[in-house]
Amino acid sequence: MILIHCPYCDETLPELEFAYAGEAHIARPLDPSGLSDEDWERYLFIRANPRGRHNERWRHVHGCGRFFNAVRDTVTDKFELTYKAGEPRK
Amino acid sequence: MVDAALRTAPVPADPAVYDGVTITLGTPLERRSLRARDAKALGKLLGRKLPEQIGRSSEDVLCLGPDEWLLRAPAGTAVPDGAGLPLALVDISERALTLVLEGPRAIDVLQAGCPRDLRKLTVGEGRRTVFEGVEIVLLRTGEDRFEVDVWRSFASWLHLALTTAASHLR
Ligand SMILES: [Zn+2]
Repeated sequence: MILIHCPYCDETLPELEFAYAGEAHIARPLDPSGLSDEDWERYLFIRANPRGRHNERWRHVHGCGRFFNAVRDTVTDKFELTYKAGEPRK
Repeated sequence: MVDAALRTAPVPADPAVYDGVTITLGTPLERRSLRARDAKALGKLLGRKLPEQIGRSSEDVLCLGPDEWLLRAPAGTAVPDGAGLPLALVDISERALTLVLEGPRAIDVLQAGCPRDLRKLTVGEGRRTVFEGVEIVLLRTGEDRFEVDVWRSFASWLHLALTTAASHLR
């Protein structure tokens, strides 16, 4: 079973307590109604989907409840590191 | 709190006794979900020093998250409502019930369905976690004694899962 480090609990815990929540660092547009359809589509649907290093959101849903960010390798499924929400991309 | 005479529980009132563990329905509790950015203001209102590390408890308050605590006190305990303060104290007394596991094999029964390493959970600590996919709050109240808070609608299934695990002990 994959173990994930929660940066809020500061514990390394089984994956079963966590939920995946998509790519990280995607900021909601400040002026949504000013966006073109193409820009809105890009915000809603278009993701990097890299082969390799991926910054992504996770939630410690059956634990402290917090969202946080992680860097995971999409090929090996290995977690490189996790960090608190709001911290810059790593 | 509803009147005790009207109370029905979705699990048997009689203890389930196995070799090494007894599973019992806990007594009704006052439960409050406490949320606050400022732990000191909440602690001042409650007249308790709130634990700041996730999983630690002090008196009857358990820290569940960076801004979240769970208060569990005997039914009927008066708890202030914090009206007007930038805090949330939500009465969730009837949302959950407690199953008490006691005995030298209690940890083995819980470990059968909980992915955490429960040997690391020390006496006095508690965590929100899962048992076979059902969310629980697990508190270690003694070396061989655990309390499991579970939402009422999941309780009959959880009781079945725990007693099944207990009956397979060897
Ligand atoms: Zn956590």
